[in-house]
Amino acid sequence: MKTRLTAIFFCFLLFNIVNGQENLQTQLNYANGFFNSKQYYDAVTEYKRLLFFDSTKIYQYGANFKIGESYKAGAKFDDAIKYFSFAELNARNDDEIFETKTEIIRTNILRRTTERALQLCDDLEKDERFNAKVDTINYWRGWAFMLSDNWKSAARSFARINPNHELKLLAERTDKAKVSVTFAKVISYILPGAGAIYSGNFLSGLMSLGWNTLAGYWTINSFIEKRAFDGIVVGELLWLRFYRGAIQNAENFAIEKNLEISNKSLRFLQNEYKGTKL
Amino acid sequence: MILSNTQKSFAAKSNSYFILLIFLIIPLTTNYCQLTTDNNFFSPYNRLKFGNYLYKDKDYLRAAKEFKEYLKVYSNDTVQFKFSNSFFKIGRFTEAADNFKGLFFSSTLSEEARLMFFESNFFQNDFNKFRNLADQDVYLSLKYRKEIERLKFTTYFFDIATLPAENIILEPFPDSVQSQIAKFYIQKKIPLHKNPTTAAILSTLLPGAGKIYTGEVGDGITALVTTALSAYLAYTNFNAGHQFRGWLFAGMTAFFYGGNIYGSAASAQIYNARIRFDFDKEVKFYFEQRNYFLPQIDL
Amino acid sequence: MFLLGSFCFAQTDWVKWESQQVSYELPAHQHHDYTIDKSGFGLSIISVARNAYYFFVSDLDGDNCAFLPSCSTFYIQAIKETSIFKGTLMFADRFTRDINFFKGLSHYPLLSTNKFLDPAYNYTLHSAKIKL
Repeated sequence: MKTRLTAIFFCFLLFNIVNGQENLQTQLNYANGFFNSKQYYDAVTEYKRLLFFDSTKIYQYGANFKIGESYKAGAKFDDAIKYFSFAELNARNDDEIFETKTEIIRTNILRRTTERALQLCDDLEKDERFNAKVDTINYWRGWAFMLSDNWKSAARSFARINPNHELKLLAERTDKAKVSVTFAKVISYILPGAGAIYSGNFLSGLMSLGWNTLAGYWTINSFIEKRAFDGIVVGELLWLRFYRGAIQNAENFAIEKNLEISNKSLRFLQNEYKGTKL
Repeated sequence: MILSNTQKSFAAKSNSYFILLIFLIIPLTTNYCQLTTDNNFFSPYNRLKFGNYLYKDKDYLRAAKEFKEYLKVYSNDTVQFKFSNSFFKIGRFTEAADNFKGLFFSSTLSEEARLMFFESNFFQNDFNKFRNLADQDVYLSLKYRKEIERLKFTTYFFDIATLPAENIILEPFPDSVQSQIAKFYIQKKIPLHKNPTTAAILSTLLPGAGKIYTGEVGDGITALVTTALSAYLAYTNFNAGHQFRGWLFAGMTAFFYGGNIYGSAASAQIYNARIRFDFDKEVKFYFEQRNYFLPQIDL
Repeated sequence: MFLLGSFCFAQTDWVKWESQQVSYELPAHQHHDYTIDKSGFGLSIISVARNAYYFFVSDLDGDNCAFLPSCSTFYIQAIKETSIFKGTLMFADRFTRDINFFKGLSHYPLLSTNKFLDPAYNYTLHSAKIKL
């Protein structure tokens, strides 16, 4: 008799628990609905509600991870990393730990805290649990380098996955297309305006050369005609100014050209690249 | 034997009582379960529970939404207060003030709501309006009369209204800070300003003197040198018969001379603005550090 | 206000936010603004003159002005804020301040680009316009 009673009682308890479980599942679906329709603020609210009422703690990993993803989609990277870390604390196996860690790396890349991203990649590579996932680690390391404008290192990282990796070839192409800032400066010391022409700014280069020739002529002429004061004034206020300007410009033009080359590749990555992105 | 039979029948009876008891208890426990672990996460009770959690976690905008849903079904002064305070915490002071107003009459939190209403108005930075409100008896709080009065006199340090007499302003502040408040009072009443007209006149008499008066010694000396040098060059060129160069340098002299007179007046104004700016910063910091002499009210 | 001091993590969610795509691109450099001001005949003439100055001189002689906005931009801003006469006086004053070797000792706020912030609206003689 007693056993039967106990059975009835436990059945009743089980019903209550199952009923609760169902509700949690419904709540998860509700939150996912917001997430999938890109209403990330509301998604965070509903995942938080799920976490609050989840006494069984089975949704702690998933919901925290989703909150992290929501914040990431809203470009709120500090919060995203906070919730990915919560998810990591609640991860149930190595795969889940790896998943959160790579998300933290990707968020760091987007937040432009590249140093941190690279540090995390190194830590992950040293971890023996993830020996089989070295390709993924190198992939994100390559991305960290690309977004911080270090294409040579990016190419090296992708080459470790595959010597013909699509992104390795892109990084290599980008790096090769760049002009040398030092070279542009040095040739401008020798011939003002040459650096600008080297970086593709012909008109500006020629005008620089023109000013320098003119100011140089005036200065030297003043000295020849024994008007030393005029010579010093023109030399200081005109010639030196344009000479210095030509060198500065050569540097700026070269940097700008390189920036445009990098941005062209980054635009490709953002808009046309078909593989996994940040 | 007979005895044992009676015992058995008694045991059977007690068993049936026990079953009856269980069936009586089960519906009660289910009711209880529903009350505590209500499975509908969106019931008013659960909304409140979740809202309180969010409120504690400083997630005020979300908390306000939960409280609002709760208040649609039940009326509760504490929840209404927390709902209003959520807006206050996130800097939406107009909404906060409007909602605190709802607790003014026949509420257990009437006094606290009145104080918070004034705080909400204070942080809207419309100090004229604040002083008008503080003078209306219908809004006043008996319990927090002194706090509101202090807040009212604090506003005089934050805008350009005419200051009341010193002893009136000092009266509601504690003795320990009176000397500091008196110092602020004097700084506000007689700021150490530089007069733009004086600066301009000084520069008219001697180029650069006005700038030195406003503390910009380097600019003053530069103005004197440039004006004097171009005047000298104009003079020597005219003497040497170089008319064009003479006029060129004369024009430059006028340019530097005029620019310096104008600049001296502007410099005095900027000096004064900096005095005001530094004073405002100091006062704000002082009062912020002491939470505007207000009590912490959080439920 | 004192609330700022207590701002913490939850601050992110104190205003409802939407999804936002972050560009992968690196920030580009600022260039001279060559647009011609069409709000008045005088201003159009002056902005054409300024453009000529940018094109023939300023873009070629390097980065010489220690202030932001640079002297030429300051002049245009000054004329826009006031009049051509007052604007010229403001420019004369700015020019003198630029020549001063010890401007680093003054109260100009230093920007991250290593330039001193010195906008024209602070010098119009209207104290209400001054922002520090």
